[in-house]
Order: sequence, then structure tokens, then C-alpha cells
Amino acid sequence: MGTGVFFFPMRKKSTRKSNSRFRLFRLVIFAGLIMTLAFIFLVSTLGNQKFGGLHKLVLETTGPVQEVVTSGVNYLLSFKQGYLEVLGVREENKRLWKELKECRALLHKSREAMATNARLKKLLAFKDAADFPVVTASVIGKDPSMWFRSLIIDAGTNSGVVKGSPVANSEGIIGQVITASPSYSKVLLAIAPSSAIDVLLQKSRVRGVLKGSGKLTYRLEYVLKTVEIEEGDVVVTAGYGGMFPTGMPVGVVSKVIRKRRGMFHEIEVTPSVDYKTLENVFVLQRNESAVDE
Amino acid sequence: MIVIGFTVLGVLLVVLQTSVCMIHPVWLLAPDFYYILVAYLAYRLDLLRSLIILFFLGCVLDVFSGTILGMYSLLCFSAFFLLRYAAQKMPVSESLYQVPLVGVSYLVISWITYILVSIFEPGTLVEWYWWKMMVRTCLIVAFAFPLFRFFEYANHWLSKGLFAWKKVRVRTDNRYRS
Repeated sequence: MGTGVFFFPMRKKSTRKSNSRFRLFRLVIFAGLIMTLAFIFLVSTLGNQKFGGLHKLVLETTGPVQEVVTSGVNYLLSFKQGYLEVLGVREENKRLWKELKECRALLHKSREAMATNARLKKLLAFKDAADFPVVTASVIGKDPSMWFRSLIIDAGTNSGVVKGSPVANSEGIIGQVITASPSYSKVLLAIAPSSAIDVLLQKSRVRGVLKGSGKLTYRLEYVLKTVEIEEGDVVVTAGYGGMFPTGMPVGVVSKVIRKRRGMFHEIEVTPSVDYKTLENVFVLQRNESAVDE
Repeated sequence: MIVIGFTVLGVLLVVLQTSVCMIHPVWLLAPDFYYILVAYLAYRLDLLRSLIILFFLGCVLDVFSGTILGMYSLLCFSAFFLLRYAAQKMPVSESLYQVPLVGVSYLVISWITYILVSIFEPGTLVEWYWWKMMVRTCLIVAFAFPLFRFFEYANHWLSKGLFAWKKVRVRTDNRYRS
């Protein structure tokens, strides 16, 4: 037992020594190989500057790695960017909504301004073309009852408006003033049942009396059955008595009811004025001498 | 104070009806706020003050609406006395019954006024349509309750006085006498 213990360590020591020598040898050989290859590679590279097969092999091997790494980094960067953007998106959302609201308000204002501009241009054209003095007024109130049809306008006797003054716009006759205070007036619309205007059929020059129906139409009365009337005939003011100027548009014949009985036609006239969109009107200043006559 | 307050309120209601509620001259869906005020006065306020308010209200309505002066005054006073009489004579004075009564009285008074005006001033009024009047009546009934609440609040506020003189006046130490 004691001999064995003494003998075996001697053999083990000798084996370990030879192993370490062999390992050192292998290392030297490997290092020498590497050095040689490196030297060859260096010489060949520096020498003719040729992108050789090894280079290509290296590139082909490392290319995908580089690609993966780069795309990974890019993904991480974009993720970080996205995250940062998400953090700021609420504020941006608020700002954008505010901007959108402002833009919408601006658009609405612009549209309104364009519509007003178009309307005022028409009124101005009418005012310029009119042969008689006119007073511009705005509609400030409408009759709330269902039995009357009248308006309140913001022009009165201070502006030269008097009872009986005709009221019109660029499209035609609207009505006439029935009462006037210094700054305001009440206008009886031509569609009111109590309104009656002397009119002419433009084509046949036949005279009639235009009465309001209370709806958005007129009734043309006292036109004899012997007169030929067609739908689409234009109705204009007759100008008798000097109340309304001659030839102002009133409406268009929309229906002719021919009855067996009676002397007169039953004629419905569609107004040339759109009563639903009345905003600005003209009060025509009357020729007093003509009225008196 | 109540008279001035309710008169101003009446004027504002008429202005609101003629300017905001009337989209165009033949617009139907404009509730007659003034009639609800008339009904409130008949139910809640004393006779003298109500008559003063009604006088101004009728004047304002005659100016803003129609071609026959005095027609609205007649309508308002008739409605006022009818509703006042009905409120006194009715066995139940619950507000639940008062609102429909406002609508019914509006229809009745309007119809009578229309007939009278048609007789004395023929050809001045637009044709009578029951369905249109029913729509207007429904609008009045719909607006009656919220406006009554508003008038009640206004009445309470006006009764206290616009300026708080009552609060700062010198009182006796006796807190038990009214």
C-alpha cells in the first residue's frame, strides 16, 4: 500500500509534463500558423489591394450578422422614438383639435362673409341701377302671429321712410310700409291677405290686382277669362297711382285655374322674392307728387 | 318692482319670439311665450299689478305684430280673465291641471278673436287652420311648465327687491311680531 502510494505519483507527474509540452507545442504551431496567415493576408492586402476571396468570405459571413444587428438597433431606435412620440401625442392631439376648431370657425366666417358679400353686391347693383332714391334697411323682426304677415325694419321717418313707401329687394317687390316711427318701420308683406298691388302681366299687358294668400304665393285677381294666360308669364308692378314704380318684378304665374262660372281667372303667382331669406331690403322713396295725382 | 320686472320680461319674450324664434315670415314653430306670461299672471299675481303688466304687454304685441291695433290687448285681457275665473272656480288647483288649461284657453280665445276680427275686419287675416293652431297650442303646453318655473323664480327674486334695502333696514328688537 505504502509502495503504491509512493510509485504512482511519480508516473502521474511524468504524464502531466509531457501533456504540457504537447500543449505548448500545439499553441506555438497554431500561433505560428495564425501569424503566417495574418502575415500573408497583410502582405497580399497591402501589396496589390485586391478584395480577395477571403475578404468576400468574411463579408458574406459577417454581412447577415451586421444586417441583423443594424435592423435590431433600428427597431430599438424607432421603438424609442415611438414611445417618446406617444408621450407627447396627447399634447399634440389637444393642440391639433384646437387648431381644427379655429380652422373650422375661420371657414365658417369666410363662408358667411362670402354669402354676405354676394348678397350685398346684389343689393348694391340694384341700388345703383334704380332710377329712384332708396333707403337700405335690415329686417330686425318678423310677425310672430299666424294671422298676419309683416316685418319690422330698422329705417324710419328719420331716413325718409313714410307710410305707404314700397319695400323691395334686388329680386322684386316685398311689400309696403304701414307704420313708421323715427327709427323703425313696420312693413306689410305682399303675401299678407290685406295687401293688394296693381300689377300687369308683362307679356299681354293685362292689368290685375295681386293679393296675398297668407302662404308663400299670391293670388292674381280681376283678370278676365277672355285673356289668354300661360304658366310662366311674368307679373310686374303696374305703377298706377304712383305707389309702386312701374315694371318691378313681382312674380311668375304658376297656376291658372279655369272655371266655368265667373268672369275672372283664378291665378296663382309664385313670388320672385324668397321670403324665407329676407335680411336686407330697400325702401323706395315715393314720388309724392305722383301719389297725390 | 314686480310690475316693472314682469313688463320687461314680457317685452323680452316678445322680442325673443319675433327675432329668434321666427326664422322666416311664415314660420310656424314659434311658441307664443307672451300667452304663458298671461296665464302666469292670471294664476299667480294680484289683479291690479297683472292689469298694468297686461296693458304694456298688449301694447308691445300690437306694435310688433299684426295690422289691427288693440287686437292683442283684447286677446290678452280675455285670456287673463278667462284663466283667472277658471282658476278660481276649478275645484282642483293643482298645477298639473293648470298647464293643459293654458293650452285649451289659448285655442278658445284665439278662435273667438279670429271670428271677431273676421267679422269686423274681413279679409285681413290669414286663413284659419286647425292643425296649425294645434301645433301652436302644443308648443305653448310644452313651454308652459319651464316658463312657469322661471316666472316663479323671477317673482320670488323680484319680491325680495332688486336692491337689498329690506335687508339693511333698522328693525325693532321684537322678532315675534310679523
